[in-house]
Amino acid sequence: CPAGRCGWVQPGMAEAAGDAGLAPAAAQEGAELAAVIGATVPTGFEQTAAEEVQEKLGSASRISRDRGKIYFEVPARSLPQVHRLRSVDNLFVVVQEFKDYQFKENKEDALKDLEDLVKKLPWTDPLKVWELNNSLKKKKTKRKKHGLQSPASREKLSDGGEERGADQSNSNDQEDCAQNPVEPADGQDTENPQAVTSRNGVEEEEEDNEQSDVKVEVQASSESGSKAGDGQTGEGEAKVLKFRVTCNRAGDKHSFTSNEAARDFGGAVQEHFQWKADMTNFDVEVLLNIHNNEVVVGIALTEESLHRRNITHFGPTTLRSTLAYGMLRLCDPQPTDIIVDPMCGTGAIPIEGAAEWPYCYHIAGDNSPQAVKRAANNICSLLRKNESKDSSNALGVPLDIIQWDICNLPLRTGSVDIVVTDMPFGKRIGSKKKNWDLYPACLMEMGRICTPGTGRAVLLTQDKKCFAKALSRVGHIWRRAQTVWVNVGGLHAAVYLLRRTWERAEERRPFW
Amino acid sequence: MKLLTHNLLSSHVPGLRPGGGFPLRIELGRPSELPPEPLPNSESDEEFLRRVHHVLLEVEVLEGSLQCPDSGRRFPISKGVPNLLLSEDEA
Repeated sequence: CPAGRCGWVQPGMAEAAGDAGLAPAAAQEGAELAAVIGATVPTGFEQTAAEEVQEKLGSASRISRDRGKIYFEVPARSLPQVHRLRSVDNLFVVVQEFKDYQFKENKEDALKDLEDLVKKLPWTDPLKVWELNNSLKKKKTKRKKHGLQSPASREKLSDGGEERGADQSNSNDQEDCAQNPVEPADGQDTENPQAVTSRNGVEEEEEDNEQSDVKVEVQASSESGSKAGDGQTGEGEAKVLKFRVTCNRAGDKHSFTSNEAARDFGGAVQEHFQWKADMTNFDVEVLLNIHNNEVVVGIALTEESLHRRNITHFGPTTLRSTLAYGMLRLCDPQPTDIIVDPMCGTGAIPIEGAAEWPYCYHIAGDNSPQAVKRAANNICSLLRKNESKDSSNALGVPLDIIQWDICNLPLRTGSVDIVVTDMPFGKRIGSKKKNWDLYPACLMEMGRICTPGTGRAVLLTQDKKCFAKALSRVGHIWRRAQTVWVNVGGLHAAVYLLRRTWERAEERRPFW
Repeated sequence: MKLLTHNLLSSHVPGLRPGGGFPLRIELGRPSELPPEPLPNSESDEEFLRRVHHVLLEVEVLEGSLQCPDSGRRFPISKGVPNLLLSEDEA
């Protein structure tokens, strides 16, 4: 098996010419197995994720030009910690990266090149990492089965039709189909947007039909199928691995579609390894990510997206935990900070907050009784999860829920350090007209409860126009400090970091 | 509802005097012991601090109500969640 023994490339170093790939330093005899990990993160929060990686794993990250991905190198034994990162949605181990792959103009030639690539790639070490990762997954699944799925699903059933299936083994990505936004095509022909797939082959529905769901394809023609079958002789023990190829392609200069690339690359993978192609019940998921001239071949390490980890009871617009984590990190919570989410919905943000910042105090509130009930259920599930780990901590979750009205909060003036929330989007909850009145009222109340000078707010909204207008009316209490452009369920949204001015708020707005 | 949360809540019934509405009176569904007044110089006493921590963060009011000290308006607490919504005529 060929192994490129090039060293790890720092950004800014001169790149090898042509398509000479750069492989991570292969493990030498006796040396420790290292892995180059690729992680998908909510777009806009790449820097936040890199900070978390630095903090928890001590590794520097590279942020790729293909938005929503970061890369870092760790010893393979750090895999458990890698899985505990809160800002990443999905993980894969890099087989090889090509910074400047030259695609042939002709479709057949380009595809042939991809096929030929397979046998030249350094699969050995990444596959070892994949194996190691599998043994970790087995431990996790055992714990889950013992656990507390059944009470949660019982609760779910009693909540009625609004719930979407919260089955943990099916990551239901309907909310956040576009983990990687579509790159605006420079040329005239808009080629296929990136293939959006979920880990276990469940078809994802796109919200706004902006992106056609280009699904993975592997040439599972009856011929090759039976070839693999025939190849499997009496080595009773050795199980033939099943695989599929997922291709994400972005850029306007490619002569082929992601479907075609996945199909041909997959054919070559099958030839090379004699694995069996299987779309839904696969062991190995090979990733082929093409972003203009950047090509990354990887092997998936996560099955279900991590971003639904905290939530067992969904609502219509549940925020993914990785995005909640990114938002919380943005406001830099300090120990003893009081953090409030006044429109908490199912509680994604406060739950993430309480899990990751246990030395802060988190208060969640909503006016909807369903939301409050769901949030309370989600917290119970979290508590029960904690119980199995460390019973002494079962009651000490620094989190409370209240039913209240955002426009008239029953909180003392200046008593809160941080306000962090997902503001209602016109299209999914409420309406654009309602937002026109709601947003200024929200900002005023949030300003009143927030500590002058040191207080801050992190607000997610899709209604950027309405927000900007509302903000301009409350310039005396809020200053805009930073804006992060994100993608939520196919909609382009923004996260605003605001700082509270030193001006003191009136005690309470008079109502007559 | 934990006691630390109660510390941040105030009644928002309209027409209260400035600074009014705080603190809300806790009425419990059934009797329970509440801690006595704290002694001065308690901050360095670790045993005391543990008890305060326990009372603030590990004791939950599950059923009961909060009463506005000025207007007398009661807000129910059910299954640990206080409902502080005002009715349409009140707001």
